[in-house]
Amino acid sequence: MTWQRETFKKIKQVPREEHVFPGTSLCAGCGGLEALRLASKGLGDHVVYVNAAGCFTMLAAYPFTPFKGSWLYTTMGSAPAGAQGIRDALDVLIAKGRLPKEENLKIVVLGGDGSTYDMALSSTSGAIHRRLDFYYFCYDNEAYGNTGMQLSSATPYGARTATSPCSLQHQAGTLQEKKDIFEIWRAHKPPYIATVAPRYPLDLEEKFARASKFEGPKLFLALSACPTGWLYDPGETPEVAKLAVETGLWPLKEAINGEVTHTYIPKLKPVEDYLKLQGRFRHLFEPTLQKEVIAHIQDRVHRYWERVNQVERKG
Amino acid sequence: MLAIRFHGRGGQGAKTASRIVGTAAFLEGFVAQDSPIYGAERRGAPVAAFTRIAREPIRERGIIAHPTVVVVADTSLISDPAARVLDGVDEKTVLFMNSSLSAEQLATQISLSGRVTALDLTEVALQRFGKRGAISALLGAVAGRLVGLRQESIHEAISRELADLGLAPSVIEQNQVAARHCYDAVPVVALETGSRRVPGSTRLRIPNYEPPSRGTARISAAANSLLRETGGWRTFRPVLVPDKCNGCWLCFVYCPDGVISMTKDDRPVIDYDHCKGCQICVQECPTRALVAEREKEGEAAWTAK
Repeated sequence: MTWQRETFKKIKQVPREEHVFPGTSLCAGCGGLEALRLASKGLGDHVVYVNAAGCFTMLAAYPFTPFKGSWLYTTMGSAPAGAQGIRDALDVLIAKGRLPKEENLKIVVLGGDGSTYDMALSSTSGAIHRRLDFYYFCYDNEAYGNTGMQLSSATPYGARTATSPCSLQHQAGTLQEKKDIFEIWRAHKPPYIATVAPRYPLDLEEKFARASKFEGPKLFLALSACPTGWLYDPGETPEVAKLAVETGLWPLKEAINGEVTHTYIPKLKPVEDYLKLQGRFRHLFEPTLQKEVIAHIQDRVHRYWERVNQVERKG
Repeated sequence: MLAIRFHGRGGQGAKTASRIVGTAAFLEGFVAQDSPIYGAERRGAPVAAFTRIAREPIRERGIIAHPTVVVVADTSLISDPAARVLDGVDEKTVLFMNSSLSAEQLATQISLSGRVTALDLTEVALQRFGKRGAISALLGAVAGRLVGLRQESIHEAISRELADLGLAPSVIEQNQVAARHCYDAVPVVALETGSRRVPGSTRLRIPNYEPPSRGTARISAAANSLLRETGGWRTFRPVLVPDKCNGCWLCFVYCPDGVISMTKDDRPVIDYDHCKGCQICVQECPTRALVAEREKEGEAAWTAK
């Protein structure tokens, strides 16, 4: 069964109204900001963003904010706890009649992959377990970007980072596999989780529209192509994001009450097409071609999609 | 002691340039120290880096308040108060500008007593590398020339520092050739280092403790980031060729900063006060109706807002 977009069919359905305004000091060509801007068109202005420290710290650098709504800044590990506090406060105020129901707000955690995959994992697990009604928006650029691209548990095998350089002992750069945070969330049985890529705006908007119908924890994992850390020209951000999806490395999918559906079936271009564009993988091609490393990445992609075919497309 | 301060935008290579000069000086037997300013690492945002060179051990630390040479990789930084390009610059300071304007034009425009020299490194990079990008080797070569380091040591330092960044040998060699060109081409201004006044020590003020309700920064405005103009980040601007536009909305959808809006008849309008010049719209436009034009320098660039 193929996934169908019900609401967003044409590009001109992307709302014109902006909710994240210009003037932030995020990098030119930031894939994370691109994803957040599109996401905010689905979320609107009645939102409290709870921002874990990370690149998005630069969204509201004192004394400026790009939002019409509210923004609360927390440490890397405690954004879901902050979200719980705001949710409780709103619930209490509404129950006591001190805040009209129409002024209720959506709570949206903004966390990078450093927070989402590493530091905030325990407070996130707690929040999902308590069925906290919130969105979790992770801008995943696969490393600690704000401090100069150090390895995180979202960094993929074979990427070079500041703390996993290509060396004689570790020629592949990063030796660990990217943590599967989607499955970790799914194991908690939240109502809605999805991966998105800003190069696929209709898929993204559709998923925000669908998620809005569910109460409880909702995860959005946004591929955030990063010119600064992945080392490519800022103008290529959409192209890099597109190839991440088309090579099968970044599957677009959702899980409603635990049931996974892939929302886009890529043609599985060779992974080299994606890797070659980025400086963080250049050591796999120069000065010597590291065939085994590339074959390992390719093999993992093939095995993933074989499993998807078996599970989702039987009969 | 020679003190060189580099100003650039994240991604231009100011930090690597400071390392190249430091390494080159070290190779010639000097004591050298180089460091970037610590801050969030960000493409396009103002960055600074410092190199000190001396025959004796260097006791001074931290930012360079009174530079012998200031190297400016992007002249639009001069009008950005946050970049503090002209801090501590006096009539003895040598200022190098990466600019298409001549030293005389620049000196009158900035109305400065410092001694100015200039070379269009962006143009050199465009011609030799075929695209814009980091000009660290070129900045390093120019700074090295101005403080009197040898060409061979710059050559070797570029090789070491760029190899550290994981660049391919062919790219490093291309950088070395372009750097050699800039080393020879930059108009040299003699340094005056004899009677530099010694800066006094700065007193640190310890902030008072305030409870979170008072001590936490609060912003009580809505969407006031519009007051911050990031248009100065651009080296290239996207320009619309109206005849070619088919009104497809892709530029509007993909712009990360939301600086493109669509008119009623589906034509993009670009907010140049905030466009950071990432070129995503230029790359994604299916009909090539958006083209990249290099930003022109002129008097308007110097007026701070």
